Amino acid sequence: MDTISLHAKHIVKHFGAVVALSDGTLRVDSGEVVALVGANGSGKSTLSKIITGVLSRDEGEIIYNGDSVQFTNPTAAQKAGITAVYQELSLVPILTVAENIWLAHEPVNNMGRIDDQEAQARTGELLKLFEGTFQDTLHPDAPVETLPPDEKQIVEILKAISRDPDILILDEATASLDGRQVDCLFRLIEEWKTQNMGLVFVSHRMDEIFKIADRAVVLRNGDTVGNVDIEETTEPEIVSLMVGHERGLGRIQRKESIQPESERIALNVEGLQTDVLHNVSFSVNEGELVGISGLRGQGQDELLHTLFGNRHFTGKIELFGETITPDHPRTVINKDMALIPGDRATQGVLMTRPILENLHLPNWRKYNFPLNIGKAIRDAKRITDKLNVVMKSLEAPVNSLSGGNAQKVVIGKWLLRDPNILLLDDPTKGVDVGTKAEFYNLLEELCAEGTTVLFYSSDDQELIDLAFRVFVMHDGTITEELSGDDVNKANLVSASMGAGVNNGAQK
Amino acid sequence: MMKGNFDFYNWWKKFNRKNTYVLALVVFIITTAIYFILQPAIMEEGVLSRITTSNFRTWLPIILLSVGQTVVMLGGGLDLSSGAILSLGNVILAISIRNTDEAGFNLLIVLAVIMMGLVAGALNGFFVAFLDLQPIIATFATSFLYSGLALLILPQPGGKIPRPYTDFYRTTKFLGIPLAIYIIIAVLLIWVFFRNRKYGRFLFAVGGDEKAAYTTGVPVKGIITSTYILSGLLASLGAISYTLLTGSGSARSGEDMTLTALTAAVIGGTSFSGGSGSLFGTVLGAVILGTIQNILSLARLDSWYRTLVNAVIIVIALAGPGFIKLFAREK
Repeated sequence: MDTISLHAKHIVKHFGAVVALSDGTLRVDSGEVVALVGANGSGKSTLSKIITGVLSRDEGEIIYNGDSVQFTNPTAAQKAGITAVYQELSLVPILTVAENIWLAHEPVNNMGRIDDQEAQARTGELLKLFEGTFQDTLHPDAPVETLPPDEKQIVEILKAISRDPDILILDEATASLDGRQVDCLFRLIEEWKTQNMGLVFVSHRMDEIFKIADRAVVLRNGDTVGNVDIEETTEPEIVSLMVGHERGLGRIQRKESIQPESERIALNVEGLQTDVLHNVSFSVNEGELVGISGLRGQGQDELLHTLFGNRHFTGKIELFGETITPDHPRTVINKDMALIPGDRATQGVLMTRPILENLHLPNWRKYNFPLNIGKAIRDAKRITDKLNVVMKSLEAPVNSLSGGNAQKVVIGKWLLRDPNILLLDDPTKGVDVGTKAEFYNLLEELCAEGTTVLFYSSDDQELIDLAFRVFVMHDGTITEELSGDDVNKANLVSASMGAGVNNGAQK
Repeated sequence: MMKGNFDFYNWWKKFNRKNTYVLALVVFIITTAIYFILQPAIMEEGVLSRITTSNFRTWLPIILLSVGQTVVMLGGGLDLSSGAILSLGNVILAISIRNTDEAGFNLLIVLAVIMMGLVAGALNGFFVAFLDLQPIIATFATSFLYSGLALLILPQPGGKIPRPYTDFYRTTKFLGIPLAIYIIIAVLLIWVFFRNRKYGRFLFAVGGDEKAAYTTGVPVKGIITSTYILSGLLASLGAISYTLLTGSGSARSGEDMTLTALTAAVIGGTSFSGGSGSLFGTVLGAVILGTIQNILSLARLDSWYRTLVNAVIIVIALAGPGFIKLFAREK
């Protein structure tokens, strides 16, 4: 491989009115590993997808080996020598490992027939690269759908390598790999560097970045804010680049008041275990508002859904001292627990049905048989007034409402049941600022009245403003519990990346 | 109890994955055996040959339709219009074919019908691959288009194909094997040729996971469109064989065939979700269906029972994979 260089300059990308990237700049040369770092929503995924041709850019330039290039689809980028390994795999489950690795560039004999033996042999050689790190489920003939996630990831990596790329982009490629496999991958990366490959390593894991990267490019809110040599920087410095200055939106002043008055433990969880979670234990007092933080997909919604009866689990869950076994949401709904789910359109409301129906969906039993519609309408009106839902009428379908108002319907539905425990899965996602403020007031009111709230948010500022205690989750377990003044942007970001935090008690 | 069942299930799953037609082969042997048993005269000289010829020339149109349907299903789609394409081809031939001394003209008509099949298939492919319409809806809609055209061309059944042509189709044998079987073998050989080439691999990839295939550089739109074009082509060939079989035309000739073709594919082991199946299994499936029909008429069952049995077979064939999955999940 000759020396190559890829330079993405000042890339801009909009999705409708949302600016995902306002200044994405990244340069990688042969023989180096550049880490691409940034918080949720910083634009790093967008930037890497633009470089590999999955997304198109609005402005900016990409210079590849001195030429200005434009990749209209992933295949074009691949042909040019730029290949990516993403976290969402691009494997066809029904095909075998060998078939997947060589898909679209199969070895072909001189009669045009696919040379399966050649493919098998080459696959075997590729698998040797990771020798010793996988079980015998992984062999060239195994259908990909029979493999566990770590082996699928290995296949994905081998698939990229089989194309002999000049530039390899690893986008969260280590997420499913265990320690041994990661070490193996890093050894391979060192070797690829000597063969003049240039690598971009997108990751949230500080320790890995400091282990393998030569340089780090930091994105924040769509801007490139840093380009540092790993040897000359520290973890805290990178975190501070990622976090920058606090950006308030005139929010509620942090009060110490969302602290529980009551000593009663509303929710106690011990040793919770599911397919995703392991060893989750915590307790929440009555009237407390506890936040859950961490990068998306680390088990936060799994935790909430498990509490709500939507998952198989082992471990103990106690509600006000009573052990319960939520095997269906029905069980916990009857115990006055409520869940505001993360995906409004598919889990929260029936989009095409009227607001009235949506509000009373879990409640019709209270209205007797035959249904006392008059009372139902009065109750519905009461709650929509209280929540200030802007709507044409109760008969209007929910999809006629704005995002914020639709979310209010979801909340209203559960408030009508007067829940003791309220679980919230990123409830202000896609909700306008005005509604958010109303929502925060509502939460404070509820807590004052004794409702216990467990609240996952991908918006760190929100948690800082509302929660006195925050659990940070990583890899299916609670890795950090912050409280009081320790709940700040820097600590939240650090903890979500597995780096140390600044607090009184040493971790 | 658990351990024993568990191992068998996994082994069966693995075996079935590589050889999706095995179940169909077993059923084929069973139904053919029953059929022979019910035919007391089958061992007499000449009877087997006569019956085979008669069966396969009748079954050929459905077999061709089933093969087309399988290709579409392998790519993850569905073609509900193939029967209608057959009807359209049938009526065009029925009213246009002239007598044997205008062979050149007749050939042109045949080519025109094939062309029609390709165009109809391309239209289907365009709707599904480029306009991103659901295959069930798109091909359901186009089926009305094609059968409507057929009705327009031939409102009442009619037309006449010259005797020499139909005789040729119905009686020709090489080495004692009827023409229809040669055609089936030819189709299977063509499939074997392509299955091990890029086209076959791409087809299974697209059916297996369209998005993954796209990201990997497989020309997804092209592959999908090609499957519908092939289905249209095979439907037009089915039209030709059907017309030669019956000697006349009817705008409703292909009406019931689409569902039968689909059932044949499913019996043969082709999965609705795409990416899995084989043409060999489909041919077995079509033969199984045909044999069962024959068994029913031999058993002198009321035509009401025949419809019932057909329906039950279709339900079992279509729901079967779902049941198996359900039991798997319970484990």
